[in-house]
Amino acid sequence: MTVDRTAAAAAPPVKNTAVPAPPRRRRNWAPAFFLLPFFIPFILFTLVPVGYAFYQSLLKTERTGGTFGRKTTVFAGFEQYKEVLGDPEFLGSVGRVVLFGLVQIPLMLLLALTLALLLDSTVARLKRFFRIAYFVPYGIPGVIAALMWAFLYDPRLSPVVELLDKVGSAPDFLGSSMMLWSIGNIVTWTYTGYNMLIIYAALQAVPGDIYEAARMDGASEAKIAWRIKIPILRPALMLTGVFSIIGTLQLFTEPQVLRSISTSVTSTYTPNLAAYSLASSDNYSEAAAMSVTLALATFVLSFGFLKFTGRKAES
Amino acid sequence: MSLRTQRPALRRALVALAALPLLATAACGGTGTEDGASGGQGTCEKSDGKVELTYWSWIPGVEKAVAEWNRQNPDIQVSVKSTPNGNAGTYQNMSNALKAGNAPDLGQIEYDSLASFRLQEGLTDIASCAGVKEAEDDFVKWTWSQVTFGSGGEDGVWAVPQDTGPMALFYRKDLFEKHGISVPKTWEEYYEAAKKLKKADPKAYMTHFSQTDPNWFSGLLWQKGASMFGQDGDTWKVDVDSPAAGEVADYWQKMIDEKLVATDLQGFSPALYKAWNQGEVATWVSAAWGYSTIRDNAKATSDKWGVAPMPQWSAGDNAAGNWGGSTTAVLGKSEHPYEAAQFALWLNTDPKALEILNREGGLYPAATQGLELEALRQPVEFYDGQKIFDVFADASKNVTTDWTFGPTMTDTYRFLGDGIAGALGGEGTLEDALTQADAKTVDSLEKQSLEVAK
Repeated sequence: MTVDRTAAAAAPPVKNTAVPAPPRRRRNWAPAFFLLPFFIPFILFTLVPVGYAFYQSLLKTERTGGTFGRKTTVFAGFEQYKEVLGDPEFLGSVGRVVLFGLVQIPLMLLLALTLALLLDSTVARLKRFFRIAYFVPYGIPGVIAALMWAFLYDPRLSPVVELLDKVGSAPDFLGSSMMLWSIGNIVTWTYTGYNMLIIYAALQAVPGDIYEAARMDGASEAKIAWRIKIPILRPALMLTGVFSIIGTLQLFTEPQVLRSISTSVTSTYTPNLAAYSLASSDNYSEAAAMSVTLALATFVLSFGFLKFTGRKAES
Repeated sequence: MSLRTQRPALRRALVALAALPLLATAACGGTGTEDGASGGQGTCEKSDGKVELTYWSWIPGVEKAVAEWNRQNPDIQVSVKSTPNGNAGTYQNMSNALKAGNAPDLGQIEYDSLASFRLQEGLTDIASCAGVKEAEDDFVKWTWSQVTFGSGGEDGVWAVPQDTGPMALFYRKDLFEKHGISVPKTWEEYYEAAKKLKKADPKAYMTHFSQTDPNWFSGLLWQKGASMFGQDGDTWKVDVDSPAAGEVADYWQKMIDEKLVATDLQGFSPALYKAWNQGEVATWVSAAWGYSTIRDNAKATSDKWGVAPMPQWSAGDNAAGNWGGSTTAVLGKSEHPYEAAQFALWLNTDPKALEILNREGGLYPAATQGLELEALRQPVEFYDGQKIFDVFADASKNVTTDWTFGPTMTDTYRFLGDGIAGALGGEGTLEDALTQADAKTVDSLEKQSLEVAK
């Protein structure tokens, strides 16, 4: 930031004297051209579908000529949104993922941060091995991971449960009271390594002389981690925080897979499951309204989080 | 700070970007109404020349039956596409294809989904096609009532019945013998048997109560005659929580409360199969096709199962429920309804076709003469040589005819399943599940802009 500012402040006078008016008027299309590979798919596969979903969410079904008569879709304004916001099941599912996020995200990020700091410390051995080992779960497709855990949770199939039962008594991992945290465990297992890698990469970008200076001043490794590394990591932590918030609100794979083995996951367990269920029963408009609402909620929460953590950084 | 100077341009760009999808969708969404191929125009003419038909189905080995048809009918060639189960994505694909106008000529549709496809204008009325109305007596009664929506043909014939799932009681002969339990003839006896079993072996359960098979539960309601829906002209009557249904719910709630049934075993799950193999679950009230589910997944229990009629609500009755079963439907935009109807009739009544479908796909035919199939009169090896299909043949004749599926069955099943999850987890009861499913179904019908009787 500071580097940019000084460069910007120094550059203009030189430029102005060397090259006068013309270049300022000439449009430079090169950057736009290089952005195309991003923007074309972004427009086609993100903005257009979102726009279409929004359009769908403003419609409703009408029928003339009795039960099996003619079906038409008509414009209904924000009627579907009223349905969505008044749907206790949907609100319940949002509450469930928010609770999930409040517990799981801090735990996971703390774990990721700890692992990254350990890997970055001077005493760590076999760094390359551990870096990959922690990251491997992220490389396993979500459905497979969820299936694998489902088997580990099932009281009749799991060696883990059998072992726990021998020592004491195993919790009912697939019961309704434990389900949310069983899912949390799968998510943590999958994404801790991924988040750790982002944090670790940020640590690598820190120039070594800062640490050297600290050490010369007599700071211990723990002190360096606490006083220097963690403050420097703030942007990386914010980034992983936002990713996690988005991922949490969109929880789908794990509960959907666990449904095939547990009797305690309903069709509206998470907001995404609820929207999926609606869409597969031919109620596209309400499903679209639900999706748009969810997207908005994700947007608000992510930016709220950024604003909140950003303000804290300033004070 | 440079951002500030660029702001207007940036904003303009963002506005343009934001508007783009709206423009695009306005173009896509130009046709807000769907063309009504309401069928039933009464013209079912034979096409000229050679006809090619497409057919979607998920019956294992159906292509062998189709090959037989193609051999016999060089002018009407059918090509079949193997699809996943209806609710595993095929219905969704069919709906989308119907919307896009490239649906196959024929499709496999289960009885409980017929109404929802008719609602989407996805079915063709084949009543006027040669031979269709005459076929009524070839099929088990209740199936004809399903494909004609209870009208007996007055209001069209919307599909040809294919197979059924008459229900009976699968039970572990060895466990019953070991603990001195006799085969229950009534639900009361079934409850007593469950208690006796629990007493003898605290780890054993009478059966499992699946959460993802609300259509199993509706099969139990079917036996009781507790039809979930009724139709009066254009008005739907939702009766999911009828008093009769409530009785069934209370009965099973008692079983759950006294821990006589396993509440943590999902239907068709590896855990259930393991429990079967280990003798932890002693019975399964299931459909005819269930015989292969047990045979293929509980291999260790060979010769240990027997099949008896479904327990009755009052002694001496012989009512049966039905779980599952399909039809062959001519889909909404087929250009050759005549040929398609001929194929559908042949596939589901011709002895040779029935034989292939039974041998390859394990289908239990809806055609009355199919019940006389040689294969269905033989002793079945896995079941200790019992002629189990005799039991199902009786059940098939005793399935209550008076049963109506709702037009948004996917929703109703889902609501029921959610309620059952609560009941199994100790939050609420099965009675609550019915009440909630009833209220939510009314709501979902109204969202589809259907008339509901209050």
